[in-house]
Amino acid sequence: MTLIHIQGLSKHFKILNRHEGLKGAVRDLFSGDYRTVQAVDGISLDIEPGEIVGYIGPNGAGKSTTIKMMTGILKPSAGVLQVNGLVPYDNRIRQAMIMGVVFGQRTQLWWDLPVIESFKILKEIYKVDQKMFDEHLGMFHELVGLKALYSQQARTLSLGQRMLCDITASFLHNPQVVFLDEPTIGLDVSIKAKIRSLILELNRTRNTTIILTTHDLGDVEALCRRIIIIDKGKILYDGDIKKVNALFGAYRTLKLQIKDYSEATLAALQDRLTGTFGAGHGITIAQTEDCWTDVTIDQARTPLADVLAFIMTNFTVEDVRIVEISMENVVRKIYDGALK
Amino acid sequence: MLTLGEYIRLYFLIEAQYIKGQMQYRADFLISSVGMFFSSLATLSIFVVLFNSIPDLAGWSLMEMVFIYAFYMIAISPMQILFDAVWFLRYKIQSGEFVKYYFRPMNIMFYFMSERFDLKGLTQLAAGIALLAYSSIRLGLVWPVGKVLILILAVFSASLVLISIAVMAGSSAFWVVNSYPVLALAWKVREFAPYPITIFDGIFRFAFTFILPIGFIAFYPAQFFLRPAEISPLFYLAPLIGIGLFALTYKVWDLGVNSWTGTGS
Ligand SMILES: Nc1ncnc2c1ncn2[C@@H]1O[C@H](COP(=O)(O)OP(=O)(O)OP(=O)(O)O)[C@@H](O)[C@H]1O
Ligand SMILES: [Mg+2]
Repeated sequence: MTLIHIQGLSKHFKILNRHEGLKGAVRDLFSGDYRTVQAVDGISLDIEPGEIVGYIGPNGAGKSTTIKMMTGILKPSAGVLQVNGLVPYDNRIRQAMIMGVVFGQRTQLWWDLPVIESFKILKEIYKVDQKMFDEHLGMFHELVGLKALYSQQARTLSLGQRMLCDITASFLHNPQVVFLDEPTIGLDVSIKAKIRSLILELNRTRNTTIILTTHDLGDVEALCRRIIIIDKGKILYDGDIKKVNALFGAYRTLKLQIKDYSEATLAALQDRLTGTFGAGHGITIAQTEDCWTDVTIDQARTPLADVLAFIMTNFTVEDVRIVEISMENVVRKIYDGALK
Repeated sequence: MLTLGEYIRLYFLIEAQYIKGQMQYRADFLISSVGMFFSSLATLSIFVVLFNSIPDLAGWSLMEMVFIYAFYMIAISPMQILFDAVWFLRYKIQSGEFVKYYFRPMNIMFYFMSERFDLKGLTQLAAGIALLAYSSIRLGLVWPVGKVLILILAVFSASLVLISIAVMAGSSAFWVVNSYPVLALAWKVREFAPYPITIFDGIFRFAFTFILPIGFIAFYPAQFFLRPAEISPLFYLAPLIGIGLFALTYKVWDLGVNSWTGTGS
């Protein structure tokens, strides 16, 4: 049976156009001067039990809004939305029993309590029996070594430790579906790796459905088989990650700071790259505002090392960075027909 | 879904932990208790000074005023102890942190209010009870069981009125960006409660009875015990007004919770 069924789902927000000053404030009270933001614009998708779905898109795409509708916080403006056969907004309490949610950097642990006490309160709220509770905690401890943190108050934990505890807490009642909205934001590589292995293991052993939003394409590559890309409230892509993998897997951007940079340098770079690597080299060059030259390379066509070596010998480069392709660039490439 | 019994159990569990956590701020508790004590003392000394120059206030003696004030102190305690979180509502709404209260399979008002338990309110409650005992001895009041029961019912009704005013004012944060003036106004109006309504004339007396029913917080109930002969029939409406007002407040809160769209994140 389909766990989440969404058909033509939309959400718009009405925002009052505020005017300045006291006079403006009085005018706002009575004015009908609204502007609408179409946060989610007619999306359709179905999610089966046990899937890990990466729900990605640039800032303001509508990801969090979709999750808020799926968790019953926001009432959709239009469309069909069912989780486990029920409408979340009309059955918030019942739905909350089968869901786990981690929202951004906001902790849901009791701020002043030791972590373990928060867990015990959750045990009561969700009526988890003692045996299952112990079993769960044992498993979490094995996976991420949580025990050391138990006696600490939530407010004394580091961001990464708190996120581990929050994720653990969201799985405590063995929910059917867990929503993770940017669970790795601001965390270092080792905590990210722990969080990823925790999520994978829980999905594997309990068949928990997981819906993950993130700006870190590494998370998506490590966890998801299916990804849904959303932009401006509309779904751009929904399907196997393999097909889009090439888009962010093979691309790297070389960020360069070139000495005595001028417009002419850019043109020269462009020409000489084409001369050396041929017309189908898959390299794009762009100038960013902060004086960096971005050279984006499709590694499937041209080895990054060759391009770097070529540039280093022909130009005086003061600084180099290699970055993975950004979400914005992935979306731009999809618009440009990369998936056609 | 949680039953009423489970909610109560959960409440004790959360508060026991919360109080344990607060114990590390013992100094904070002591200082604010002392502060509260002195602010009550200040009000009482205003009474004493006032009664030094006049024999009575609209026919009410000093001890009668103390009795009304003591009743008020007791009645306001449940609001302070159990609903203290209401003062933080607007921050939670503005920062978007309020979103978390929707994620648990619980009543949202319960979840939100259970996050704080104001210990210093207990000090106030104790002081109020002591003052009530003292003034009723001085006034020579007798307390048969029936009267004690009525007292409890009266305190309960008055508490509901106070809780309603605070929660209703706090809920304005769901719609207004800066809800501070609304809260400040509610807090101010409440300060009229420990005075005999009869000292206000016409329009105020009407407003404090029917529009913002603060007369029911202390005066009408206290009148029943002090001057049963002069009792306004309105006194018997107090439980209805308390329950009705709270039901209305809950509706407003619920409307706010359901219409709040959060902040983008
Ligand atoms: N409560 C709200 N009131 C008004 N507009 C909102 C509200 N919540 C979201 N929006 C708007 O809806 C759009 C989608 O926001 P949403 O938070 O869903 O984006 P997102 O995909 O989660 O972005 P991000 O990656 O930055 O978290 C944005 O334009 C945002 O400004
Ligand atoms: Mg978001």
